[in-house]
Amino acid sequence: MTPDTRSSSRVPRVAAIALVVGMLLAGAWTVAAPPARGAGLPAAEPKLLAPEEAFRFSARALDAHTLEVRFDIADGYYLYRDKLGFEADAALGTPALPEALRKHDAFFGEVLTYRGRLVVRVPVPSGVAGQSLALKAASQGCADAGVCYPPSLQQVKVALPAAGAGAGPLVEPERKKGWFN
Amino acid sequence: MLAPPDPDPAARRSSWRRWALVAGVVAIALIAGIELARYGYRAADEARAAAALLAVELPDPSGRVQRIDQWRGKVLVVNFWATWCVPCREEMPGFIKAQAASGGRGLQFVGIAVDKPEPVQRFASELGLNYPTLIGGLPAMVLSRELGNRLVALPFTIVLDRGGRVVATHLGPVKPADLHAIVDPLLQP
Repeated sequence: MTPDTRSSSRVPRVAAIALVVGMLLAGAWTVAAPPARGAGLPAAEPKLLAPEEAFRFSARALDAHTLEVRFDIADGYYLYRDKLGFEADAALGTPALPEALRKHDAFFGEVLTYRGRLVVRVPVPSGVAGQSLALKAASQGCADAGVCYPPSLQQVKVALPAAGAGAGPLVEPERKKGWFN
Repeated sequence: MLAPPDPDPAARRSSWRRWALVAGVVAIALIAGIELARYGYRAADEARAAAALLAVELPDPSGRVQRIDQWRGKVLVVNFWATWCVPCREEMPGFIKAQAASGGRGLQFVGIAVDKPEPVQRFASELGLNYPTLIGGLPAMVLSRELGNRLVALPFTIVLDRGGRVVATHLGPVKPADLHAIVDPLLQP
């Protein structure tokens, strides 16, 4: 038996097979995890949060007639007061918007904004204990870093608690969904 | 239990060498394959983005439908903006200046406003906008995402060369110096 001569004649074939295997693996890898879009474009983007992280929305029912909506606004981000809006599959009363920060805007004049935690009480005059409400919240805000996010509509399902049961749990919208998906 | 000693150390060495070679080739091929595929994705992405952008038809503030590819052959700077976006408004005087200075050398700005016609018209005349802006509304945000606007935020700017190829995309205000660095080499002398 002469393993040495046999193996040396096999090396190119083995190398060729290895090359094919490697390319196939690489192909499979990149198909499974394609690079982020525009990765090659010279886009020096500021470090920014996705809007649903910059303006974390949640809601709960305080009682059968009152919803509490929260926006936890990340540092360096702000929401516009006049772009906030709430609707549900039951009639809602006038939301109790807290005092906002005043800012002069060259085009719109005075604008009102919120930073930090924004808590809004929204009356549900026709609310019934045990009822499940689909609450939609519209909002729009910007980052001090120099970008603005388009108006967003987020939705949560809130169950109205029975009388004397106390406030319900805070509900957040489901994550991992793009705004336009 | 001990394994019996290898009867042929020379054969063992050669088989070790063969496997080292195989591993090396697999590693190199893996890296080459990934890079090649990345390059392919990128090139295909950019070509798709540019074609999608040039095919866009949107109304101007007066309601007339305009096609982006009417400006093909120019160095095209397409800027997604809105009147409700302060950083967008703040960068536009720089665009107006660049359009006035380099329009004759083939530079063409086009705005796509994620907005309603009335505020756009009002802002354009207040500012003395010297380049066209089209009304995209919210669907324009979807378009900008396809062009690489990962966060779907404003302002977002994309530069195409005279051949309609994507040269740069940028989220956030574009610094005048950066704009010059990208655009100037593409303009007529």
